[in-house]
Amino acid sequence: MKIAVILGRVLNPAGIVVNRRRGRIFVNREEYVMQPADRCALEAALQIKDGSEAEVIALPRDLLPGDAVGSADVLRRALSMGADRAVNFTGRASDVDDAGMTHVLAAAVERLGGVDLVLTGATTWDTGQSQLGPRLAEVLDWPQVVDAWAVRVIDDRAEVVCQILSSPVRGDRGGGSGYSIFEVDLPAVVTVHPGALKSRYPDGVRLINVYRDDGVVEQWDVAEMVDTGNLVPLLEKRGQDFPPQRERGVQLEGTPQEMAKALAGELKKRIG
Amino acid sequence: MDFMLSPEHQALRRLIRDFAETEVAPVAADLDREHRVPHEIMRKLGQIGLLGVCFPQEYGGMGAGEIGYCILMEELGRVCTSTATNVGAHIGIGAMVIYLDGREEQKQKYLIPLARGEKIAAFGLTEPNAGSDAANVHTRAVREGDSYILDGGKVFITNGGYADVITVMAATDPSLGAHGGITAFIVETDWPGFSVAREEDKMGIHGTSTAELVFEELRVPQENVLGKVGEGFIPFMKSLDMGRLTLGAAGLGGAEAALDWAVRWAKTRKQCGVELAHKQSVQWMIANMATEIEALRSLIYRVGWMVDTGQPFTQLAAMCKLYGSEVASRAIDMALQIHGGLGLSRDFPIERFFRDARIAEIFEGTNEIQRIVIASDIFRQHGVRIRP
Amino acid sequence: MDFALNEEQEMFLAMFRDFSTKEVAPSVEELDHAEQPPLDVLRKAAQQGFLGATLPEQYFGAELDYLSYCLLLETLAKDSLSVAVTLATHVSLAAMSILAYGTGAQKEAWLGPMAAGEVIGAFAFTEPDAGSDTSILQTRVTFPFDGEESEGGEATLNGVKTWVTNGEIASLLLVFAQGSEGIDAFLVPADAPGLTVGYREPTLGLRSVTFNTVYLEGCRVPGANRLGEPGTGLEIAQQAQDRMAVALAAAGLGEGEAAIETAAQFASERVQFGVPIAQKQAIQNYIAEATAEVEALRYLVYRAAWLVDQGQGTPFDFSVVKVHGARVARNVTNRMVQVMGGYGYMEDYPLARRYRDVRAFSIMGGPTELQQVRVAQQVFAERDVEVVP
Repeated sequence: MKIAVILGRVLNPAGIVVNRRRGRIFVNREEYVMQPADRCALEAALQIKDGSEAEVIALPRDLLPGDAVGSADVLRRALSMGADRAVNFTGRASDVDDAGMTHVLAAAVERLGGVDLVLTGATTWDTGQSQLGPRLAEVLDWPQVVDAWAVRVIDDRAEVVCQILSSPVRGDRGGGSGYSIFEVDLPAVVTVHPGALKSRYPDGVRLINVYRDDGVVEQWDVAEMVDTGNLVPLLEKRGQDFPPQRERGVQLEGTPQEMAKALAGELKKRIG
Repeated sequence: MDFMLSPEHQALRRLIRDFAETEVAPVAADLDREHRVPHEIMRKLGQIGLLGVCFPQEYGGMGAGEIGYCILMEELGRVCTSTATNVGAHIGIGAMVIYLDGREEQKQKYLIPLARGEKIAAFGLTEPNAGSDAANVHTRAVREGDSYILDGGKVFITNGGYADVITVMAATDPSLGAHGGITAFIVETDWPGFSVAREEDKMGIHGTSTAELVFEELRVPQENVLGKVGEGFIPFMKSLDMGRLTLGAAGLGGAEAALDWAVRWAKTRKQCGVELAHKQSVQWMIANMATEIEALRSLIYRVGWMVDTGQPFTQLAAMCKLYGSEVASRAIDMALQIHGGLGLSRDFPIERFFRDARIAEIFEGTNEIQRIVIASDIFRQHGVRIRP
Repeated sequence: MDFALNEEQEMFLAMFRDFSTKEVAPSVEELDHAEQPPLDVLRKAAQQGFLGATLPEQYFGAELDYLSYCLLLETLAKDSLSVAVTLATHVSLAAMSILAYGTGAQKEAWLGPMAAGEVIGAFAFTEPDAGSDTSILQTRVTFPFDGEESEGGEATLNGVKTWVTNGEIASLLLVFAQGSEGIDAFLVPADAPGLTVGYREPTLGLRSVTFNTVYLEGCRVPGANRLGEPGTGLEIAQQAQDRMAVALAAAGLGEGEAAIETAAQFASERVQFGVPIAQKQAIQNYIAEATAEVEALRYLVYRAAWLVDQGQGTPFDFSVVKVHGARVARNVTNRMVQVMGGYGYMEDYPLARRYRDVRAFSIMGGPTELQQVRVAQQVFAERDVEVVP
């Protein structure tokens, strides 16, 4: 079977410092990592491959100008971890958002031919809930299951385990307390919950060979795949700002007796 | 001159750092406290292929060269000297002798499983009377039919308590000494006649096995002679030469860790109303540490490149070990000083690195021996053969 | 200037050596391994009068001059730095503070038992946020009613003290707290209500010394337990630290001497390349440099001890001896580990423990960096420049 995995990269927040007072974000250490949820999606794909004959193909989540190297790095990592093929998209002049990317990826899936399962992360570190998976399912007209914790493939079906969020609606959910198990016909799109699976380490020999081989990631020209008119972003970003400041608490000082007195006074002031 | 690491080496560094932070760092303090060898970590390193990082892929290794090995030791050295020491003894001296001087059959039989981490190696050189004077081995190897019978023992053998394969140096002809009298053997530790007498109680690197080995009528088949009979000293010395470089790399890692903690502490801890970072004494220490680290890093990777490109490196490798061990000691000492009382507390990692670092100036050739190697090489180039 | 020890001091030295060899040396390794305080050793030391080494006879002390006391510490340190540090804390920090600032009643109550070893003293100054920064303490002392302070009454102490040497074995703690007129010093019995001796720091070295966190939660002591006048706490503490600086340097001196002795013996026996390594110039240099450093330190320490006896000694003098003592002890021990090679790293041999023990000397009792500020302050004060730390 063929599994396509969509992987993106993001700046590691550990290297970023937010200075609210100056209203700026400082990137002290520019280090990119694979989106954690996408990494879980890749692990899910590789685990399916471990148990059967499957081909895993890595595709990029983003299409940013001059970012060919960045995307290629994520794709190479996927190869070193066990993916069979990786395809990068080239030939784009400005940012493409999730909506536009959906068309590119749908075209790529078509071009790959015979894809049974598309896996990607349910969230991204920088934008939160990711629309990419659901949008892609809509465009491909495939069933979708989002926020999966586990995926199993049985013949032409996938069994997807999702966590139940607390809900007042009762009913027979099956699958034991706290989880639902969905059965979905393939081909399907499944998005994976971040942290659902522990990512494997790359295989050392694969890593060295993949990174030595300049041509190991295939390049597909976007213009050959879609009408670039479809790629114009639907949303225009007009600005960004920090969330409004919240009132901080009051720090009490002194001996325990003094602090108790002060606390009583503060409470009297607020409660009356 | 291109000073950038190649893409594969950059990717390798990322992999190892990730592994070190996820698998090694969380248990490093426990290994020290419990005096426990990290068997689990060695197994996982083996699964990824890192226990053969510098050996060619055709022998089960990763093919990342000496530079790849330096990266491994540096990144492990940043989180746990004990783990780095286990790995270094396995790859850099244990298996390395087989790689440098083994016959094809020996490489097939031993190097491949060692490179894959299926077996662990150790290097059996040191004896009570053969420390710096390595050629003064008393372990006897007597030819008997198609085998050799080994009698004697070794001390201070890293990994000795659990290795599967040990490359042993023994005297086949005591009268000839280093020139014609010493032979190298590949010994399997489950053969009759091999035993581990005791483990040393050390100041640091508690997560390593430092064992005393005993050979009593240990029968070694002649196929397991490494190199030529009587010429075993050279392969062992070659192996030590190479091991020196990566020991320096482990020192680099330790120094980098020290700098990292020192900076973090200095920016947090307040004394007299200001953070320590504003004190010139502290700034000077940090600047000195950082400068030495940069110099060491350049030295290590340049020498790695020289090894990988087949250039002579003996003198430079000795410098790497000498400078690396001293830079690490200095940096860790300064970081400890910056932390004040907390630097002395076993609840913080610094004192562990302090104890662990001390051995680096002593083992694998004391720094005094390194200086002799360096000076010898310099004078040799001027036509003078110095007597140490 | 007479640089020789007098007859009495020579006699003491022989007595100290005898004691140390018989009573300290046999148990040092075991106590270090088990991280146990040397209680038996202290008992025996008390019998010899060592726990009241410098205290007057009227309090059952041995009335040794400070130099002789330093010879004692030097000798003990050759076998166990932990024993030396434990004793020095008890004598120089605790007992001698009471001797210098105590009222008649306080001296009567405490010094005799301290000299007898029935009471071990500890010194509680350091706090989590005040290590080297000593001008403000978080630990507070209060009196419930105004005016009661001057009448005596009962004082209440609140706060946390860290790195209290001898914490676990002390029955008397000298606690420093912020009062209304500055820092006060209080004599607090270990069983005072509201005092808890807590967490013992696991340390790199000096593993037979107990360093504890001490909690004062509404700890009540009689107002009469204040040592000295209100607000003199800082002065008391500084003088104590100055005495301790000399004591630690004396211990460091002994430590360095012992390290050289062990290493030199090893170098004369260890044969490599056909000769004892003592024949190698590098080894000779290490031993020679170490010996020179130790000799220089010796007279610096003895002179500093003499200054204590004279009641002289400026911050400069004490800081210099502290810094130099720590530096020499550490450098010498480090070099001697190197002379011993692999054997210097094995805990079966004494150098490994020495190396771990002596590292604390650049930090405890005021770290080197702060001592150097004091030295600079005096140097520049003479030139009318006030050095601000």
